[in-house]
Amino acid sequence: MPLGWMQHEAAVAEPVLQVRDLSIAWRGPDGRANRVVDGVSFDLAAGATLGIAGESGSGKSTLARALLGHCRTGSTISGGSIRLNGDDLVALSAPDLARRRGRVMAMVPQNPLASLTFHMTVGRQLQEVLRLRAGLSDKAARLRALELFDQMGLPEPEQLMGRYPHQLSGGQRQRVVLACAIACDPLLLVLDEPTTALDKTTEAQVLELIRRLRSARQGAMVIVTHDLNVVADICDRVLVMQHGRIVEQGPVAEVFVSPREAYTRLLLGAALRVEEASRAKPAAPGQALLEITGLGFRYARPSILRRIAPGPPILEDIGLTLAQGEVLGVIGESGSGKTTLGGIVTGLLTADTGRVVFDGAALAARRTPEQRRRIQMVFQDPLSSLNPRRRVGDSVMRPLRLFQGLDQRAASRRAAELFEQLGLEPELLSRFPRQLSGGQQQRVAIARAFAAGPDLLICDEITSALDASVQAQLLDHLAAIQRRQGTAMLLITHDLSVVWRMARRVVVMRGGRILEAGETEVIFRSPTNPYTAALLGAATRAARAGHPELIEANG
Amino acid sequence: MRAMLLRPAASLGLLLVIAHVLIAIAAPWIAPFAPTSLLDTPLEPPNATYWLGTDDLGRDAFSRLLWGGRVAMLVAFSAGAVAVLGGALLGLSAAYRRGSFDDVLLRLVEMKLAVPTILFVAIFVTGFGQSVPVLIVAVGIIQMMGVVRTTRAAGIVLMEQGYVRAAQLNGESGPTIILRDLLPNVADLMAVEFALRASSALLLVSALSFLGLGISPPTPDWGLMVEDGMALLESEPALVLAPALCIATLVLGINLAAEGLADALGLDAARGGSG
Repeated sequence: MPLGWMQHEAAVAEPVLQVRDLSIAWRGPDGRANRVVDGVSFDLAAGATLGIAGESGSGKSTLARALLGHCRTGSTISGGSIRLNGDDLVALSAPDLARRRGRVMAMVPQNPLASLTFHMTVGRQLQEVLRLRAGLSDKAARLRALELFDQMGLPEPEQLMGRYPHQLSGGQRQRVVLACAIACDPLLLVLDEPTTALDKTTEAQVLELIRRLRSARQGAMVIVTHDLNVVADICDRVLVMQHGRIVEQGPVAEVFVSPREAYTRLLLGAALRVEEASRAKPAAPGQALLEITGLGFRYARPSILRRIAPGPPILEDIGLTLAQGEVLGVIGESGSGKTTLGGIVTGLLTADTGRVVFDGAALAARRTPEQRRRIQMVFQDPLSSLNPRRRVGDSVMRPLRLFQGLDQRAASRRAAELFEQLGLEPELLSRFPRQLSGGQQQRVAIARAFAAGPDLLICDEITSALDASVQAQLLDHLAAIQRRQGTAMLLITHDLSVVWRMARRVVVMRGGRILEAGETEVIFRSPTNPYTAALLGAATRAARAGHPELIEANG
Repeated sequence: MRAMLLRPAASLGLLLVIAHVLIAIAAPWIAPFAPTSLLDTPLEPPNATYWLGTDDLGRDAFSRLLWGGRVAMLVAFSAGAVAVLGGALLGLSAAYRRGSFDDVLLRLVEMKLAVPTILFVAIFVTGFGQSVPVLIVAVGIIQMMGVVRTTRAAGIVLMEQGYVRAAQLNGESGPTIILRDLLPNVADLMAVEFALRASSALLLVSALSFLGLGISPPTPDWGLMVEDGMALLESEPALVLAPALCIATLVLGINLAAEGLADALGLDAARGGSG
């Protein structure tokens, strides 16, 4: 066992980490100082795990970096102290900090692929840490590296040592980065969004590993995440941040069960609670609008290769139906083919096999103007879906003029109506996209889609670029206008709570196939497919925190 | 604009350009003598009347210097405009259409890179005659090739954006998408390209004049003045150095201003400078 353990024992009594009144200011190009972290104080005892939760821009990542004595270019610690094991990191010189990094405090950065050097084998990268930081000899470093890989649950460590980062899966990379971070057994381990880049099955395994590491080590752990489910899963304490300030902190069981602050309640409100009734309204029974049968798609390869080895299938034998005015949720993680499916229905892509029948007529590769009008799409990234050089009103009026043949005045009146239906002030029509918030931009994109007067709307991850607080508002507006116009909707998402909120029926996709399809309430309450069950298990952890009886029922 | 002027190099560049443009515009009024009239004995050394002396035909070198940027700048800026407008339309069309149109256009651009610039203009000028419009078109085409490449690259990125996808899905026509969705979003790139192409065109025009392929005598022109003075470099160095300095300061000025503009707009200067 490394020597560090003895020191750790002594530190158990008092907090390892004491942050007092910490402020970090960021100076913009215009010279104005902006407080990104504002008067943050907290303690962390040895062996404890703290979750820092917050939306993007809350300052949580800046705070995490500061715990390693690091600030992004342009920002400085403007006040307060960070005492780690007695030393104030704010007062330490750069070389002193550098000496402590990796040994006393270590970080697991967000993107494991970007944090590994691609020209070196992962074994060498880990051994480098052990030689330079822990001062081990080449031979000792190799043995310890094997031991660490084994500890990380990586299969066949001997062979893995000789692999390059791109040859590993996302979960394996994350394990390698974790191994590097704990190589010198640091007192404080900071994990920045450790599972965001991983699919749910891998996420569960990595979280299990982190939990095991926590019980084997004495050091403290800080996990930065936007996902309250992760906090519920592995943290003892939680700290909720907004606009650089701490909104609420306390033990997870307490905060999640009875949050004191409205903001915390709002964040927790987005958590999936399948035991409550779904808010999705049933559609009036209508005839079938969209019928997909035996759909298959592969990416084309260069013509010589195509005959010998066709590309891997992206979609295989997909079949689904959607009635008029109905909302169908399509759940899948990245790589499941759900976006490809949306692309085929809208006409961005052409399927290789199978039929897509829309309102009784098979859709050809070339759509008629009427079909184009009736099938509209809303994209994932709200900013890039609006032309930055055009006023948003222009963007909404364009389909009105193109499809409805309205003149400037009538189009502008109709655009204002659509804005009002989506809860946007008509004054915003003359703004440019950058002058709007992400939620407003996405509502403008929805207004543009509805301007065409569609019968079918494809929504591809429309909430994933938005913060939890904005998502709820956007979905409410979308549900209202959808019901009012009687538009059918294909809601493609990886977020189960979005489907729970919006869709009565759901399809679960994985690896280009449909695993399960049916009523949302039935599938979410008693999934038959193990993959669906795993997705649900991951998505309902926040709701189950502090309610052990629910874990029994669902986990 | 303010961000640009915060950079000292950019303000210096802008100052140089403005000074040159003002002098060129005001030349008819501020020049002490007419640039083409034979006034005195040839090759007078600089004195109180003729500040830079007289040239080999007895014309006032200083007056000719003040006049000498007018035609070159006209050609350079017009050619820059031709290059940027034409290049952007071609480049964005290629990004929009891709396929064989894109392939052919790129091969043409590569062919131009393989042919020496001066040779290309020489053939062009021999074919269509030596005049200012022909020169503008020839230099404009030369400069256009680089613009095609940069705007095409920018256009390919824009084609992936949601608003272009949405317009395509709605069945908007190609020209509408290119003019409404693509062109306005490469405007900042075009501004920087214009400055870089104009400075490069100015150097090219001066070189062509020096070789006798550009602006024809007796029009006062820096390139021509350098050529005339070459033989007398040892006895009358001012006749070469003064126009050379003018060309150098103007080109330097435009380049510094362009770099400042690119920085201020957040464009990579290296991207605009290639091709």
